[in-house]
Amino acid sequence: MKERNSTAAISVKAPVIGLPRAMLYDRYEVLWKSFFSALGMKGIVSKPTNKAMIEAGSALAIDEACLSTKIYLGHIQSLIGKCDYILVPRISNFGLHRNMCTKFESLYDVVCNVFRNTDQKFVAYNVDALQKIDEEKAFVDLGTALGYDRKTAQKAYKRAKRNESEDWKKKVHEEEALYKSQSIKVLIVAHSYVLGDAYIGQPVIDYLKGMEVTPIRADVVDRKEALKQSAKVSKTLKWELSRELMGSIQMHRDKVDGLILLSAFPCGPDSMVNEMIIRKFTGLPILNIVLDNQDGTAGLETRLESFTDILKLKKGVL
Amino acid sequence: MEEAYLGVDIGSISTKGVIIDKNYKILASEYIWTEGDPMGAARKLIELLEKQFDKEKYQIVATGTTGSARKLVGAMLGATMVKNEITAHAVGTTTLYPDVRTILEIGGQDSKIILVENGVAVDYAMNTLCAAGTGSFLSSQAKRLGVEVEDFGKIALTSKHPTQLAARCTVFAESDLVHKIQMGHTKEDIIAGLCRSVVNNYLNNVGKGKKIVSPVVFQGGVSKNIGVVEAFKKALGCDIIVDENGHLMGALGIAILAGKGNKKKVFDFSVEDMVFKTREINCGRCPNNCEIICVYRDDMLIDSWGNRCDKGALKAGTRTGVK
Repeated sequence: MKERNSTAAISVKAPVIGLPRAMLYDRYEVLWKSFFSALGMKGIVSKPTNKAMIEAGSALAIDEACLSTKIYLGHIQSLIGKCDYILVPRISNFGLHRNMCTKFESLYDVVCNVFRNTDQKFVAYNVDALQKIDEEKAFVDLGTALGYDRKTAQKAYKRAKRNESEDWKKKVHEEEALYKSQSIKVLIVAHSYVLGDAYIGQPVIDYLKGMEVTPIRADVVDRKEALKQSAKVSKTLKWELSRELMGSIQMHRDKVDGLILLSAFPCGPDSMVNEMIIRKFTGLPILNIVLDNQDGTAGLETRLESFTDILKLKKGVL
Repeated sequence: MEEAYLGVDIGSISTKGVIIDKNYKILASEYIWTEGDPMGAARKLIELLEKQFDKEKYQIVATGTTGSARKLVGAMLGATMVKNEITAHAVGTTTLYPDVRTILEIGGQDSKIILVENGVAVDYAMNTLCAAGTGSFLSSQAKRLGVEVEDFGKIALTSKHPTQLAARCTVFAESDLVHKIQMGHTKEDIIAGLCRSVVNNYLNNVGKGKKIVSPVVFQGGVSKNIGVVEAFKKALGCDIIVDENGHLMGALGIAILAGKGNKKKVFDFSVEDMVFKTREINCGRCPNNCEIICVYRDDMLIDSWGNRCDKGALKAGTRTGVK
């Protein structure tokens, strides 16, 4: 793993690690926080996304970057100088046909390059199962890079992983309960960093709740089962996160009234996978929304309102 | 006195209004240009509707607004129902055509498809936040070709060999078009090709994966273009119904929805004489710096929107609002 300033001495006080509240934060929040706290490190998290952050991130990113990348850079910016290290993981894959979007492979290098004129130190952990580096090895390497011995790092990872799995079970249980709701249910198919974002995803959830519709997150699902079910739809789909979402739709298609596909412009994997979803899951009302850095919410509200109206008309409750 | 309902559809290009009785019979209807002034257009519309309306016999007890300025004009007219144009169109069209199975619509900025079963909308799709292949594309290309967009359809019908144009994205369609003009394709062939590319674009985008079953009703501004209608007929292999009152469907639908709604309020024609103003405020109370739109009636704040949180919530009835 290429480590910038990795030889820098660790201060006597426990180092402070900065966690950007963007991209994989929603997915790994518990794992990261538990790992660093088990090591005795203090973590700080950037504030929920706001417009100023998106503007800052957009100015830093190249034009072609996706909205989520722009948001991520805005979060990094807000953490610069406030912590000893900022965590920027590099995750390539979890095995065959289990790739992450290339964004997650490049993010560490992109961040180091964009902020090369600052004194900020960044740390990564490097998951690449096809190169025989699994998550555990990646975290142990991260621990040692931060100056801890292997055994301490391994123990911290094991504990963090336990916390993560318990927390996830609870979250999945709560989400599964929503499928029993008597109201109109909409499965929102979106990456956790889109749906979990306070500025771009949360308004969609709030709006749907205001329309007396129950929004359910497709990404909060039993991941093992979802991966298995996704193979029924496509054997060759290569993106891990898309597989989870696809499997989740397959598992719940009969329990919901409609699907909302929510993606950040211009998401490469989603542009292909969402197209596939629309073609494969016919007979289920589907709304496809692409979020961009647009200020007006009118177009979004029109689409959400009309979609829920159609579902209501179908059920005879409008 | 008999009950009547008012429906107003304020689009980006035109403003439409109807007054119907409780059997959904149209008592008055009007169609005018918005001309970038939705409030002014609404006021003018109300004035024109009032002239056709028998106030001795009927009383308007519910008012609905739809279209892109529905909120603004809804606040102004004291609407009892404010709903998006898709729902309004679905309700309006299925009321006039109970047998309809597919509604195609192409407007100034958006396009949509609504599938209907037993008089109820069961599925729909709309273009994503991109105006590809809509009326505005046709009018900008008309300008490029030096042709009135109203004549587009007639000219298209004279073509024997419509030019093949890229259909997937209108940006590519446009560069393709420039290329074909320079290559020497005739104007009528290019215009017919454009009509066809709008149809192909529509069927590949919003129509993708949808089963289009006849009877098919086509509406929205672009439905007035006979070239596009013919291209749809050819592509779908079935007849296409274009209602001459197609432009009123939204207004009719929202009037029906207002009539069905629980909220009732007698409509007061005196809004014509009141002064309405809007003002944009940048909240500035957090980094989101929301743009809040305030609507004033005779200098009194009656409604506001655009705030993402309660920090920007303004109280109706105050004179100033936040600075």
